[in-house]
Amino acid sequence: MSEAAFLEQVRQNQGIIYKLVGLYATDAEEKKDLYQEIVLQAWKGWPSFRQEAKFSTWLYRICLNTILTQRRKQHRIDYKDSLESISPAVQNKVVQQEDVMRLQLAIRQLAETDRAIISMHLDGYDNPEIGDMMGISNNHVAVKLHRIKQQLSQLLKA
Amino acid sequence: MSIQNTWNETNHPQDDDLASLLQASRLSKMSSHNPLEKIKRNLLINMCWGVLICIFYLFLLFYFRVWQIQLCVVLVLFFSLWALYTAFVQYKRIHAAVLPGNNVLQELKRHYDSITEWMKIQQQVALFIYPVSATGGFMLGGISGSNKSVEVFMNKPGILLALCIALVILVPACWYVTKWMFNYSFGKHMKVLKENIQMLEE
Repeated sequence: MSEAAFLEQVRQNQGIIYKLVGLYATDAEEKKDLYQEIVLQAWKGWPSFRQEAKFSTWLYRICLNTILTQRRKQHRIDYKDSLESISPAVQNKVVQQEDVMRLQLAIRQLAETDRAIISMHLDGYDNPEIGDMMGISNNHVAVKLHRIKQQLSQLLKA
Repeated sequence: MSIQNTWNETNHPQDDDLASLLQASRLSKMSSHNPLEKIKRNLLINMCWGVLICIFYLFLLFYFRVWQIQLCVVLVLFFSLWALYTAFVQYKRIHAAVLPGNNVLQELKRHYDSITEWMKIQQQVALFIYPVSATGGFMLGGISGSNKSVEVFMNKPGILLALCIALVILVPACWYVTKWMFNYSFGKHMKVLKENIQMLEE
């Protein structure tokens, strides 16, 4: 498969990278570094990608493996994407965006591996898939998800 | 607020700065900041220096026709070749790129183990090579500076005492400095890797 085909696949699925990088990066510079590292690691792993597998799932795995093994800044994440850039047209939309930001902020306060698990769950991956990607059993995923949801609810209430 | 609904509402507008990285011309110029990639680069540089140093020792071996110096040089050369070999073995063993077939836990462990192994080799080098090099350098510097034979130079109790003190200080110092440098460079990263491994295994 050519470089152009690879880049096209990444372009179509770059929302996955944005989303995951957004949950781990502490600032815009780190966001860019992580994004670049993921694209590079995906490119290096591209020859091993089997076409019968879903590219989005494969990319998700690359993203998590890259982000969690990368040397990153360790201070607590408290930056927010600016609301100004969203340019709200209606009040309803602003409330929605505030909820999105509150949720992202709450997820960023979770432990690193918990962030990965909850994002996979919210993206529709089932427990066996999450277990396979993280290297833990289905039961362990279920227990962890239960705890993470409780923690998230508390964080959102606070 | 439903978590799932809110998550589904999340949209990530295209970031032009990041999207600009997705160009064929940029792809080949990207360099990895992966810690294992950096260790591999470091090992390669070490090996290049190791080869140059071994050549220098060979030169010394034939230049100084004093058996005590030659013995020291042979010892240092032996340890340097051993260090070179272990560096080469580790260089070949480390797979710097992320393995897409591995799950997160496997990748975390692979990184943790590779970095730990590299650290052990660096400490072994610090423990065995630096002191022997220091002894050789001490003798070489001594006889060159004083224009005396090794027997005469080393015969003075003060010199022997100085050598022993230098070794007693140098060996732990090299070991601790290596450990400190490792912790400075990788301490936080290793702590996070270990925490994440424990979180998944608990």
